[in-house]
This record gives sequence, structure tokens and C-alpha cells, in this order.
Amino acid sequence: MKHLNALKTSGSGFRTYRWLIVILVFLGLTAYFLLPVWAASSKYDSLRLYTEALFEITQKYVWPKSEKTLIYGSLRGMMNSLDPDSSFFTAKEYQNFLHGKKTPTAEAGLVLIVKNNLLTVASVIDDSPAAKAGLKPGDHILKINGHTVRNLTTQEATRRFQGAPNTKIKLQVYRNNAVKPLDLTVTLKPLGVQTVTTHYLDHDVAYVRISYFNTKTPLELAKAFEKIERRQPPVQGIVLDLRNNARGTMEEAVRSASLLLGDQQILIAKGRSPKSEESFRGKNRALIFKKLPPMVVLVDHGTARAAEIMAGALRDQARATLLGEKTLGLCGLTKVFPLEDGSALVMTVAQCYTPHGQKIQGKGLEPTVPGIKVKAKKSENKVTAKVVTPEQDPWVQQAVELISSGKPQTAINKKAS
Amino acid sequence: MIVRKSWLWGGVALLLGLALGWSFSGPAVVFGQNPNSSGSIRNLQASLSPTPVSDTKLKVFAQGLSIIEQNYPEPKTTKDLVYGAIRGAVGTLDPHSSFMTPDEFKELQIETKGKFSGIGIEITLKDHILTVVSPIEGTPAYQAGLKAGDQIVKINGKITKHITLMEAVKLIRGPKGSKVNLTINREGFEHPKVVVITRQIIPIHSVKARILGDGIGYIRITNFQDSTNHDLEAFLKKMKKRLVPFKGLILDLRNDPGGLLEQAVRVSDDFLKSGLIVYTEGRSRHQNMRFYARPDQEGKEPSIPMVVLINAGSASASEIVAGALKDQKRALIVGTKSFGKGSVQTIIPLDDGSALRLTTALYFTPSGVTINEKGIKPDLVVEEKRPQNESLQKLRDELLTRHMRREGLTDKPWNQPITPKELDKDAQLKKAVELLRNWPPPKNLAQYLAPQR
Repeated sequence: MKHLNALKTSGSGFRTYRWLIVILVFLGLTAYFLLPVWAASSKYDSLRLYTEALFEITQKYVWPKSEKTLIYGSLRGMMNSLDPDSSFFTAKEYQNFLHGKKTPTAEAGLVLIVKNNLLTVASVIDDSPAAKAGLKPGDHILKINGHTVRNLTTQEATRRFQGAPNTKIKLQVYRNNAVKPLDLTVTLKPLGVQTVTTHYLDHDVAYVRISYFNTKTPLELAKAFEKIERRQPPVQGIVLDLRNNARGTMEEAVRSASLLLGDQQILIAKGRSPKSEESFRGKNRALIFKKLPPMVVLVDHGTARAAEIMAGALRDQARATLLGEKTLGLCGLTKVFPLEDGSALVMTVAQCYTPHGQKIQGKGLEPTVPGIKVKAKKSENKVTAKVVTPEQDPWVQQAVELISSGKPQTAINKKAS
Repeated sequence: MIVRKSWLWGGVALLLGLALGWSFSGPAVVFGQNPNSSGSIRNLQASLSPTPVSDTKLKVFAQGLSIIEQNYPEPKTTKDLVYGAIRGAVGTLDPHSSFMTPDEFKELQIETKGKFSGIGIEITLKDHILTVVSPIEGTPAYQAGLKAGDQIVKINGKITKHITLMEAVKLIRGPKGSKVNLTINREGFEHPKVVVITRQIIPIHSVKARILGDGIGYIRITNFQDSTNHDLEAFLKKMKKRLVPFKGLILDLRNDPGGLLEQAVRVSDDFLKSGLIVYTEGRSRHQNMRFYARPDQEGKEPSIPMVVLINAGSASASEIVAGALKDQKRALIVGTKSFGKGSVQTIIPLDDGSALRLTTALYFTPSGVTINEKGIKPDLVVEEKRPQNESLQKLRDELLTRHMRREGLTDKPWNQPITPKELDKDAQLKKAVELLRNWPPPKNLAQYLAPQR
């Protein structure tokens, strides 16, 4: 035996050594590949499903498709399945984004979301080209310039509605209960500079409309509130109209809400890890009113993002009653993640919660007082509906009644301290 | 292997069966390479590489996937993300390609088998109230005594107010042997009554018929499913007995969204002595097929004077039939231009029970015309009067519950002659009848027909 061993060792020492390495490498590879597979087999099954699907498409689809198109389509589809804020940039779009390529000067003035694979109008900015063309929140856009809308992300769709002034865009729009799709034409224009308007109603109630939020809105709003504060006879209540308002950043919301809430908490943003939780509050010196008059905030399905933050904060800090219908539930913070081939993902990384910890994203805010149901008149289906003044608006009337009857929650600070 | 997994898909909305397509003993079919296949298709063949998805691109996708998994505020399962991704990839293809989750795929299989498990009633929304149109004879609903006009107030205790027709259909359908409680209100009832009905397998008929007093038969195909050709042949046989002489036939393919390619071939074959019916061209040889009519088959009617009705709702399989009969100058095509869907979809089941519906081939009429986006032009254009003021929702409900809806003309027994009043409501049908009564047609139309041998 000894001899045999010796022979073997001497005769094939190098080979044995090599075999040992091969076996070790094999074991290592097996462990490396199989263990994670075993640990997360469902994940690998899903990935296999994906490659299987892609294989079938590349092999059998009647017209050939490039890998790039299919992979980009996949990324787009995956981001679309998350939420309307999550999106995808091709390499070119990402470069434009990085180099701050100016967004075109004119736009349609609407906020779009992709909902159940349908491109849907979330809100239409007051007096914008989209409003003039007759678009309404809830409309589904079927065709843009004759092309059927398919697999667009919210951001891509939004870019289709920006361009040089006076660009005309032809749309085919489906509206619930409509007999057939509507054909509308939108002419792009720069948006008006004003985002805040004030009216005075009966019973010394002030009506403040924010059509959307931009960087100047907090300042405009401050001026409007200062005027209301100085008004004689003193204002008895404020109706803040945040309906059909889905555009604006978190910062704009915090600065605007701070005018009424000072340094109270306005929102909490939470991401994946508990560490990511962040609380946002305003500044006490931003406060405008010595004593805040009773306030009703109007909200509807088109209330989202900055408007939702503001409505949630005013409600939770007991500064206002929400009147109307459930809000859209679209309030997240996005971040851009570059991918190795130069494209990038735009993804929601944190979601908004009201000061009392209620999640806004995906849920929306329920109104404290439901708005009275207005029977849809036939004229509402008409392309150009009549502009309603605040005095004619049933929910504004309901809000004024609420204020004059003394029912809305007044400015009581519920904080335990 | 690939072939075994895929089913041919020849409809806008309905019906499976390539397994069928490859093995059926029906019309003479020449499979294999198409002698006419163009160079471009061969070139496409060459461009297929053994690993169609390169690692670098796949890596980008995997990177995206892991970014979402690690950073999205809510945990997402890889499966949900992959479903979204596949949907996105399919979204870059033509509108007839789609992705189906396992649930959607199952529902499709039910629809395409030509039978489902239910109780056997046709329902409609009459003034927003869920109403029985008619119980189908011999079904559980019929045996339970449901009558036309009965209002269904509740389904399993759930109030049917504001329900859509599709939702109602879903609630009433269920596995064979299970029970459904319907709360029924009927004129003469003091209180609504609860009826318990056990669900059974209900066949869906895709062929309906009527006759006219003077030897003319009317057959309507609502879609092309598994048993369509058998049902058609059965009606032809019955008509031949009842109508002596059997002078003419109207084949109504209006609003027929299509279905199985194989069935389109069989239906065409019933009216043709010989010759090409349709051929398909795809990227792979498997997709290149030629379908011919078989001579001397029993139950065929290859020479009876014939008018085919089509409209913008006639698609896919309907267009194959209309195209074959038109190109072979076998029948006069009357109505309006057809939909123009000349592509074949193959259902490709994926590992986890989901499935892809992919456009894998285009089909061409015997004269080599693609139907895609062009449609079949009728020999004689006759516009139809369409009821206006129908909401989209209503139209959609109707489409979705095609086999549950009231067909009007074919609600009555097949052997009851169509009345002049019924004819007046349907200008296209009226024209078809007129043509057959005065057969052969005038010269300007006779050019579209092959001389009778």
C-alpha cells in the first residue's frame, strides 16, 4: 500500500493537486450558485420566467424587435407597475435631465398619471390650454396625434404635452359615460404666472384658490393671507380650495403650510429602511395669522402631491376641516438611479405620511365632511363646460355654511404638550 | 417542443387550439415551408441567434430589478415586478399581443372551449335592472323555472343595483356542481323569491340560424370556436331537409370577432370544392402554412347560391372566410368593409401558468392579399342603420357578454321564417335576400362570381 501511494504521489503529484483544485472550485461554484437559488428559489423562478418570455418574443414575434427595445419596454413596464411617479429614462433622456435641459416654455397644463395601464388626467390646471380644450380630471387619453397610447410612463406622457408655444396636439379622449371618444385639440401655451387667487364671499368668508404649486406659490400665498389678515371687517373664515391640484413639490407644500402652521410638523417621509424616516416642519416666523380664522379645505380626486401634504397637515394639526371627496393618494419622493448602460430609473424612494402617521401614498385622504352630491348635468359632458364662479359652486357654498354655522374645527392645538 | 406548447390563435378575442391545428384530420392542409415565402422572411430566420437575449442587456434589467427590490418603499415580490416587466416588453409589440396572468389565461381557456360552467341564462340590464332575457332550454336555470323578464334582485345575497353585466356574469358563473342563490322578482310575486340553482356545464353555441319562407336559409356565426363547423354542418343538413328546394344561403359574419384559424378553414371548406383557402407567413417555418379545401366531403354545400354579410365588426377568422369565398368567387360579399385584422396570434403558456399572446404570423387570402389593416371590401356596399345613443359602457358590456346577449333575429327558433317586418330592420340582410330571390345577380355583380360548372 505504501508503495502504491508513493508511486501515485510521485507519478501524478501535479495531477492530484489539480484535481483537488477542480473539486474545490466545483464545490465552491455549486455552493455559490445553488445556495442562493435554494434560499430564494422563487426569485430565480421569476427571473427565469422573464428570460423565457423574452426568448419567446425574440424568436416568434412576427416582426423582429431589438433587445434594447424589449429591455427598455420591460423596465418601463416594471416602473409603471410601481406607482405613477416611478418612471424610466433612456440614456438620452437621462443626459437631458442631468444637464438640466430646459423644459419647453409651453405646455398643456395638466397632470397625468398612468392608472390600470390607462393614461389618465389627474388634474387640469385652471384656465390652462388643457382646460380650454375641454379636458377634465378622470379623462382617459386614448390617442395623441393619432397614435394609440401604449406603455408610456407618466413622465414620458407628460413630456408629450410640452413643446413650443402654439403647438397643436390632437387627442382622442374617453370620458366615462360618453357615447364615443371625444376628439379634442390642445394648443400649448406658457402657463399663467399666477397660482393663487382670492375672492371674498358672503358672511366675510375669504375664498383662496391654489390652482397648482410652483416655486412662487408660497410667496403668493403669503401675500394673499396677509391681505386677508388685514381685511376689515375681519374675515370670519377661509375656504382654501385645493381641488384639482396635483402639481407641486414637497418643499413648496411645507413652505405653504408653514404660513398657517408655523413650526408644527407638516409631514413625515418614510422610505424602505426605518432609518430613512424624516420629519418636516416649517418655521414659526412664517406664521401669518395671529389667530387663524375657521378654515375649510376643499379636496377632490384631483388633489395630490403638494396639495395632499398641505391638506393632511392642516387636518391633522386641527387647523381645518376637509370637505369634498377622497384625494388621489399620490405623494412620494423620487430619486434617479443610473443603470450601467446609461439609462436610468426614476423611482419613488419615500412616501408621505400625515403628522398623525396616516399614509397618503396609494390611499388618499378621506374628507371630514363629504361634499354634497351634485347631479351630473347633461351640460357637464359637453366639451366646454361653463366656468363656475365660487358663488355658484355647491361645495364652496357648503363650506361657507359650515363656517357660518360655527361647525368647522377651529384652531385648537391638539398637541399634548 | 415549441410547437407543442403553442396554440394557434386566430381571433381578435376568442378561441384556442394549435394542438388541434397540427393534428386535425379535417381539411387538407399542407404544412411546412411556403414555396412563396419571401426572401425577407428567410433573412429574418438568419438573424436569429441561439442566445437571443444578450447578457449585457439582461444585466441592465437585473440591475433595475435589484434597485427596486432594495429601495422601493414597499417590498415588492420579484414575480410582481417580472409581470410588470413582461407586460412592458409586450407593450412594445402590436396591439394584438398581450400578456395574461394565470387567472386571465384560465378565463380565456373557459371562453374558448365553447362551454362554461354556469346556470344557462341570458341576462341583460333593462332600465338598469338585471333581467333574464331567456333561460336556455334544458339548462339548470330552465329547470329551476326562471322565466324571461324575471328581475334578479340579488346574487348570493349581494344586491345587484349598479352592477355591470360582466360582474353579474362573473357572480353567476362558478364551478360545476356548486350552487348560486338568486333572488328573483317577477310580476305577480308578493315578495322576491330565492331560487337555489346548481351550476352545470353549459355549451355556448356559435352558430344560429333562421329561414325565409321561399327556400332561403340564414346562418349567423357569432365566433369561431371548437365546434363551430359541426354546428354549421348540422344546420345545413336540417335546412336541406326543411327547404325544398334549398335555393340560397346567407352567411352572416357581421360583428363576428373571429376565433380559431382552424375553424375558419373548416367553415370555408364547407362551401368550397377545392383550392387555396388561406396561407400564413411568419418568421419561422413553423408559421408558414397553406390551407386547402378538400373535394367531395360529406355535408358540404359547394354550389348553393350564397351571400356573405360582413361589416366593420367582422375580423380575423371571419375575414378569412369572407376572403376565401370572395377570392374563389364563390359568394357575393355584401355589407361594409371588414375590420382588417390579418394576423395570427399564438398563445404561448409560460412556466408559472401565465401566458403570452404573440402575433406570430400574417395571413393572406388566396390571391395573396394581406387582410392586415386593409380588411375585405364587399362586392356590394350596403350601409347599416346603427342605433345611436348607445354608451360605450353599454357597447362594451355587450361585447364582453356576447354569448349572454339577446341576438334579436336569432332569438326565435331556427325554423320560424323571418318576417318582412324583421327584414325591414336590417337593410343589409334585406339586400342579401333580394339578391338571392333574383339569382343570378345582375351583370355588374355577376362578375364577382365564378361561372357555375
